[in-house]
Order: sequence, then C-alpha cells, then structure tokens
Amino acid sequence: MGTNGNGRRGGAPDDNRRAKLSAFRRPMEEGDCANDMESPELDFVYEDCDTQANEIAELYSYTEHPEFQLNVKAFEDIMELLNFPPSWQRLTENQRRDVILTLMDHLDIADSEIRMRGTRCILYLAQGCWAEMQSDAEQAHWARINIFMLYELGVFSAFVELLNLEVVRNSSTVASRKLTESLADSTNLRVILSVLYLITEHMRTEKENKNSEYSNLVQLFKEELGTPFGDEILPVKLLSMVTHLCAGTSPHFPMKKVLLLLWKILLVYLGGSKELKEKKAVLREKFGLPPVTEDTLEIIKGMRASSPPPSAVDMLENQNPGQRKLKENERSLRRQTFMKQTSLDESDEQIYDKEETSNGSEDYPMEFQSMPLEGAQNSATNDNCTYDVYFKEFDSPPPPPPQPRSLPWQSKVRQKDIDNFLDNVRIKFVGYSLPGDRVTVAGLPQPIHEGIAILKKHMYTSLSEIQLEREMEIARRPLTKGEKDVEQNETEILYRALVPHLPQYMIALLKILLAAAPTSTAKSFSMNIMADLLPEEMPMTMLQSLKLGIDVNRHKEIIVKAVTATLLLLLKHFKLNHVYQFEFMSQHLVFANCMPLVLKFFNQNILSYVGARNTIPIFDFPACVIGEQPELTKECLDIGDSSVPYSWRNVFSCINLLRILNKLTKWKNARIMMLVVFKSAPILKRTLKVRHALMQFYVLKLLKMQTKYLGRQWRKTNMKTISAIYSKVRHRLNDDWAFGNDVDVRPWDFQDEECALRNSVDRFNQRRYGNGTFDIDLQPVDTDINSVLDIIIDLDEEFKDNYELWLDQEVYHNEINWDVLLSS
Amino acid sequence: MSDSVKILRRNRPGSKAKDFCRWPDQPFEEMDNTLAVQQLIQQTIRKDPSNLVAILKMPEAQEEGVWKYEHLRQFCMELNGLTVMLQGECKPEICTQMTATEQWIFLCAAHKTPKECPAIDYTRHTLDGAACLLNSNKYFPSRVSVRDSSVGKLGSVCRRVYRIFSHAYFHHRSIFDAFEKETHLCKRFTYFVTKYSIISKEILILPNLDDEVPINQPVGESEA
Repeated sequence: MGTNGNGRRGGAPDDNRRAKLSAFRRPMEEGDCANDMESPELDFVYEDCDTQANEIAELYSYTEHPEFQLNVKAFEDIMELLNFPPSWQRLTENQRRDVILTLMDHLDIADSEIRMRGTRCILYLAQGCWAEMQSDAEQAHWARINIFMLYELGVFSAFVELLNLEVVRNSSTVASRKLTESLADSTNLRVILSVLYLITEHMRTEKENKNSEYSNLVQLFKEELGTPFGDEILPVKLLSMVTHLCAGTSPHFPMKKVLLLLWKILLVYLGGSKELKEKKAVLREKFGLPPVTEDTLEIIKGMRASSPPPSAVDMLENQNPGQRKLKENERSLRRQTFMKQTSLDESDEQIYDKEETSNGSEDYPMEFQSMPLEGAQNSATNDNCTYDVYFKEFDSPPPPPPQPRSLPWQSKVRQKDIDNFLDNVRIKFVGYSLPGDRVTVAGLPQPIHEGIAILKKHMYTSLSEIQLEREMEIARRPLTKGEKDVEQNETEILYRALVPHLPQYMIALLKILLAAAPTSTAKSFSMNIMADLLPEEMPMTMLQSLKLGIDVNRHKEIIVKAVTATLLLLLKHFKLNHVYQFEFMSQHLVFANCMPLVLKFFNQNILSYVGARNTIPIFDFPACVIGEQPELTKECLDIGDSSVPYSWRNVFSCINLLRILNKLTKWKNARIMMLVVFKSAPILKRTLKVRHALMQFYVLKLLKMQTKYLGRQWRKTNMKTISAIYSKVRHRLNDDWAFGNDVDVRPWDFQDEECALRNSVDRFNQRRYGNGTFDIDLQPVDTDINSVLDIIIDLDEEFKDNYELWLDQEVYHNEINWDVLLSS
Repeated sequence: MSDSVKILRRNRPGSKAKDFCRWPDQPFEEMDNTLAVQQLIQQTIRKDPSNLVAILKMPEAQEEGVWKYEHLRQFCMELNGLTVMLQGECKPEICTQMTATEQWIFLCAAHKTPKECPAIDYTRHTLDGAACLLNSNKYFPSRVSVRDSSVGKLGSVCRRVYRIFSHAYFHHRSIFDAFEKETHLCKRFTYFVTKYSIISKEILILPNLDDEVPINQPVGESEA
C-alpha cells in the first residue's frame, strides 16, 4: 500500500478519474455508497500495523508542515555553531557522534529556546536529514542509520526525561493562558513525542528483520521499555497523559502522537501477533496441551467474502423507487421460499437456484458449499450433484477458486459440554447422575458411546480453562497450593504497573474513541482531541479549508486506529498471560460502555467509512518535503491517489473493534444479552456489506452468539446470514445456536455469573497485586513468647493509670482452668 | 603457601593516617574477589595520581562495561572531596544557578521535573543521583558484569558530572587548582571521556590543563 511518493509527480489524472475521486471527497454524504454496492472484494490483508512509510506519515498532521522547515533551520544553526558544513552526509561517523553528544548536552540547558533547538535538530536527524536527500528511499535509509546512532548514544532515555519536564512545565504555563487550544501550545511536546515515536517505529520494523546489524540495540530497547524511567514505566506515563487530557487538566496534550506512541511501544514491548502465537504454543506445550493447528487469519485468507450483502435488495429499493413494486413482489416470493425451508431437502436447492437467477447476482460460493458433517452421510452424494449443477448453471461469473468440500473449521467442544452431555444421558438412560465421573459409560446404549467418543475426539482445552482450574485450586487450598512464583514476563510487569489505575485508563481511552468516532460531533465533548491539529489561524481560502477538513478527518481516523489497536493488543496479551487479567480489563471496558460505543461506531454508513479517502498523498511525509513543492491547488489533492478502493486504517480499525467486541462477549451470556438489548443485529448486518472475509467473519461470529435470542422471525428473514454463519464460523458440537429457542432465558442468572466472575477477579487481583494485607486466617499464628511480648500496644492514659484495677478484676479474680483447654 | 604471610588489605579501626591504605600492591591476576577492578583502579591511583595512561589502561580480557562503570564510580567518590571544598565558598546565594561560562544555565535532572538549582545543590543532587544510579540493584546488580543497557546510562551521568568541574574551574578557580594539583581528577576525567568518546569535544570547554594529557590517543577505539 505504498501510496507515498510513488508517482506523485506523474501526469494529472484524466477528468473521469478526477470526477470520481472528488466524489470520494464527500465521504460522509448519504447515497454515495449506492455505487459501491457492487463493490469488489477488498484485498485488505490484516496485519499488526501498516507499512513503515505509512505509519510514519500518519504521525504528522498536514497543519504541521511549516514546522518541518524549523527543523532544518535548527540543524543549520547547530552546524554553524560547531563549525561544520551544513551537510550531514559529508561528516565522518565520529563527527556525527560528536554532534549528537553535543546536542544531548543542550538538552539539559535551562533556556528552553536553546533546548528546543537541540530537540528539533535531533528530530531532523531522526527524520533522515530530508533536506539533503533526493528521494524517499535515500531519506529512509539515512533515517534508519541516524535513528540507531541516536538510540545507541542514549537519546531515547534523554527524551523521556525531557517529556517529563515538558509535561509538567507545559501544564503549568499553558493552562491559564487562553480558552482554545491550538497547534502552538504543544510544539515542544510534539517534537519530543515525534522523536520517541520515530525511534520506536524503527525499532518495531527492525524487530521483524532477522539478520539486522542492530538486533542487539532492538533487544536493549525492549529491555529499556520494561524498566521504569524515574518512577513509572513509559506506557503508564503515556496513559496518565491520556487521563489528564480527559480530566481536562491538560487540554493541550497532543493526543494523536501520544496514542500512536503508546500503541507502538506496546507493540514492541509485548510483541505482535507473531509473538503471541509463539508464546501461546510454548504455554500450551508447558501445560501438556496439544498444539493449535488452525490459524484464524490464515484460514480466513482462504475464504471469500460473502456477496452480495444480505440486505442489498432493500438498499436498491430505497434508491430506485420506480422499481420498488417489482422488488416488493420478489421479496415476498423470497420470504415464502425461505419460510418453506424447514428442512434441508433437495427441493430447497431448486428454490435457491430460482432465487439466484431472479436476483441476477453473482456467485454465492460460500453459502452453499458446505453441508453438515454428521447425519448427512446418505445425502452427501446428492449434495455433490447439486453443487455441480449449480456451478454449471452459472458459467458467466468467474469460477470461484476451488473450495474445500468441508467446513473450514474443526468443530470444538469443551469439557464442560461433555460433562453436561454425560449427565443428561445418564439421567435419561440410567436414572442417576455420577458427578465428577467422566469415564463410566455402563448402561448407556451403543450410539451414545459413539457420541461420547466423537465428543472426546473434538475436545479442546484452552489455556484459560487451565488457568481457571489453577485459580480454583488456589482458592480451595490457599496454604498448600498457594501461588508459586509468578513469571515476571513483559505482560506481567505491564499489568502490575497498570492495575491500580486500569479503570481510569479504560474510561479515558474509550472517551477518546468516542470523541474521535465519525458519528460524534466535536462540540459535545469536553476534551479536545484536535488540540494538536488546529492551526492558530483558521484557513482563509476554500481550498485551505478543504485541506483542513480532510486533515481533521484523517486525524480522527488515526486516533481511532491507535486506540482500537492498543485495546485489542492489551486484551490479547492479558488473555494469554492470565485469563483474570483479561477479565479485569474487559470488565472495565464493559462498565465504561464499550459495547454500545462500538455498536454506535458501526451504526454509520460503514461502506463510506471503509472507502473514505482522507489523505492527500503529496502532503504526506516525506513527499511533502523532498523535491519541489507545488502550490496548493485543487488538483494536488488528487495527485498520486492510489486506486486502492479502501482506507487501510479504517478497515483495520473496524476489524479491531469487531474483535474487541468478540473478546468481550465470548461465553458471557450477560454481555450477549446486551448485544440483543442494544439491537446490534441490524447494525451488524449492515456491516456485512463490506466485502472482506475477515471482517465478515467477526461480524458473523457476533451474530451467531445471539441468534438464539433473536427469535424465529429474525431467523426466517435472515436465512442467508444464517447460512453464511453456518459455513464460515466454527461449530460447537452440542451447541444448537441456530435453532435452539432459548425460551427460558433468565437474565438474573446471567447477572449472577457476572458477579461471581467479578468476585473471582477481585480476589485474584488482591492476592497477586494487593497491598500485602492477606486474609488474616491464612497467616501463621505467632507463638513465640518474645515476639508476642515485643508487640507494642497503645494503651490510653486512663488505662495506664488504673491498670491495677483491671489486673485485679480480670486476671486475679477470673478463674481459668487451663487443664480443660489442654484436655479438650 | 607458608612462606608468604597473608596480607590483609584493610584499614583496621584505629589505623594511623600515615598507615591508611598502606599495603603492598597486588597484581590484578591475583585479586580474586568481586571488587578486583575497583581495587586495581584505586591501587594505581595511589601509586601516581598523575599517571593517567596507567590508571586508564584496561587489563586484557576485562569487560569494558565494568571498566567504565568502576571508573565512573571512582570519579564520583573522589568528586565528593571537591564538593566538600566547594561548600565553603560556593553558596546558594552567590552561585544561584549552575553555570560554567555565563552562556548557559543547566537544569538539575535529579528531580522529577528538572529545575534550576543553585550550583552547589546541583553538585550535591547530581552526585547523589549518580550514587543512587551506580549503586542501584536494578541497573547494576553485579560488579563483575554490567548489562549493555545499563552501560548506556553512564553517558548522561558523565555529562552532568563534567559540569561540576567546569563550574569549579570558572567560578572557584583557586579551589579547583588546589584540588586538581592533588588529585589530577579533572585531567583524568577528561582523558576518560575522550578515550571512550562519552562526551563530545565541543562540550569539554575547559582549556587543556597541561600538555601531558595524551589527547592524541586514537579516539573511538571502543564501540560505545
């Protein structure tokens, strides 16, 4: 997705294209998406983050551009001061080191102008000395070299110290100055954060590079992140900046840069999805569990997105009222056919066929290719025939890639489900239950034996279950089985540092997410996430305000991206490390109304959000500083726009949010009921319009878990969605998600579940991270006479004056028969 | 075994000043305790404090991180002597700010938020901070080997410590000269930071104290 730099000086796009592009410039307008309805499948690939070039470009707002020149100026001044030529490339390696060391000396100087000149100069070096470079590649090359030299000489920790200085200094000077914040209030902070971010981002990229000459520095960097700077580790520092902003005490903090830095630091420190996978494999092996063979992302890559979106027909009708009547008929026909579909017999296939032709739409490979594994053996051959017929009939669309003839996922079952099953069949066939016995099958008929064998074959034990069991054991026998040494890995260190204020951090992050969501208006929130974007003087011309508008949207999108990625990353790591750490965080997310917030986020024109183009490639760094800069014209907004039909960061954020929602609700009935109560189904269904397999997969999962509660009517009208769920989402044996009507839903039971969980989590936190006050019953009794007599007891004066009276009454005149105590 | 009398290299309570630290030198190879490097450094200094090359000649097979660490430790310890001498003259009312030449005022980094301390406070805070860092269990748990990440912390300590010298030189010249004549500490420090390129030459603002400092030693022979 290298939209930067490439072809930015290419010829102007033809009129046609420009017209189309300018249509994209009004992303939020209703109806635009009508054209996109037959949008092609998105070739978006989900990763931990975007390319390095894009990630760096997103650090800077377009309004910050004038400041780039200040960096060169600072560099030239310094070089003049040191009697060097103003060319970094012409210096020798030792001279460069000398310059950096001198600059670091300047960082301690009290005069803030001199100090800022030093920081700006270092920022210029970290930006790759772009003023002397001819191309993006050259600039990136030098940025890498400089950044590692800077890090080696200790710039990172020096800048963290500076950050501490500026955070306090700034809040005391700015707070009283004026009412509205602008870019100028956070200049120093932004320079410092930019340098920290550039170093972190380069470290992240370098971490992937196996034979990097800098691998020892990357390792050092990771270690450094885990050790406190001053009295707190850096992620905590940054999170407390976020809470300060939300509390309104420091309204000028440049939130976008703080959040980006936080996210990248966590990514380097904790590791991305690759490390998570490795860590999980190691842990599973340690607990004697079989390795996980399926990788969600890999399997989904082999899937195609479902098409067309389930409710596309309704959309079309709204667009073209003339055709409404016709469509109405068609729809009623469709209703009928779906209502008829009570069992999977062959006539259904024909109905489907008819339906496809009448809609005149393309292939539906995923919806039909898979059939139930069990109980359909005799019809299997028939099914295959119908598939063949089906594919032959639809020759015109490109043939779908060969699909596996089975469900994409291994079905799973939990030990708990097997136990339930055993209980039920024992009651049914034998007449009594054997709690805790998982082996005895005496008296059960042969088919049940087979059933149990199949269940056991598919049993999957998760790490969480092992951790829960361990917790129960500790709770039962706290003295003998109590906590052994907890491994001090990165996640553990981070959790320990976060746990005292975790609720506040979660609330703050969600507040920011809410403020940055495209559906919210700026006025309605007390804090200002735009402080590091808005220039001091508002734009004068049409074009400038157009540019500012794009900048504002881009800014918000980037904030959403950073927040969602941070939350998801934390959830994933906590879950792996200890399930109660995960539960603690997710509880507080739920308390802070994360679920309705995510649903609100998706309750917008999601296709236009995914397709939004709030970016101007020629204004991205480094394109905006290398080579000749064109005047701001209407045309330059479009130059170099790539033909990628989606916005990487927005698809990324959407998937993150869906994954967060999935993580919060999995196996939590109370929260699934919240999904039902907040009427998530129609919102999620609309989200399915985005033709991306992974995104649809997470939506389908969310729909699957609440299907039970949505009622027959919903299922009748949403058979296509149900089929998509069937073919794409993992099945749980014994779980009748689609047709089991949960008539006796008792919400109060669910509330009890939540309460029990909360108590367990609190006990866990108190035990591991409490302030050392243990349960008094679990402390050994002090029987040593010396130490007992050594305890200092405060007695009041009156008692001291009259203690003889007390002695007389309570001790001497009170017979105690010690022998009774001993003999009993 | 029996013919060599076991020498205890210790200052017993009640030692006379003239007997203080008066024990024969021991070859580095024979020092088999965890403080060997410090012992070697102090022993070489006692022999001739002006022989910088000898003092900073790292034994072969010595880990460079530990070498630098122990030297910086030694500098901070000896600087306390200078601080005591300065205390009599450098009062917070007179030297209200940490300056060397009048050009720049330095911030005292010992605080959570760096601030402008008077020179003598800057000196004390910086030495205290350095002592804390160098004795911290977290960064320097062992004196036999030092992690690379901790070696990185030495640079900023050196930069801050050097300002103590420069303040003394420009504002309390007589004290500085008296101290320097006895210990050659500033010369040694300058030689040290130049040899290991810890501080750039631009910052070393003190004029060459005399010509015997072999500045022409190849710079940058170490990786750090």
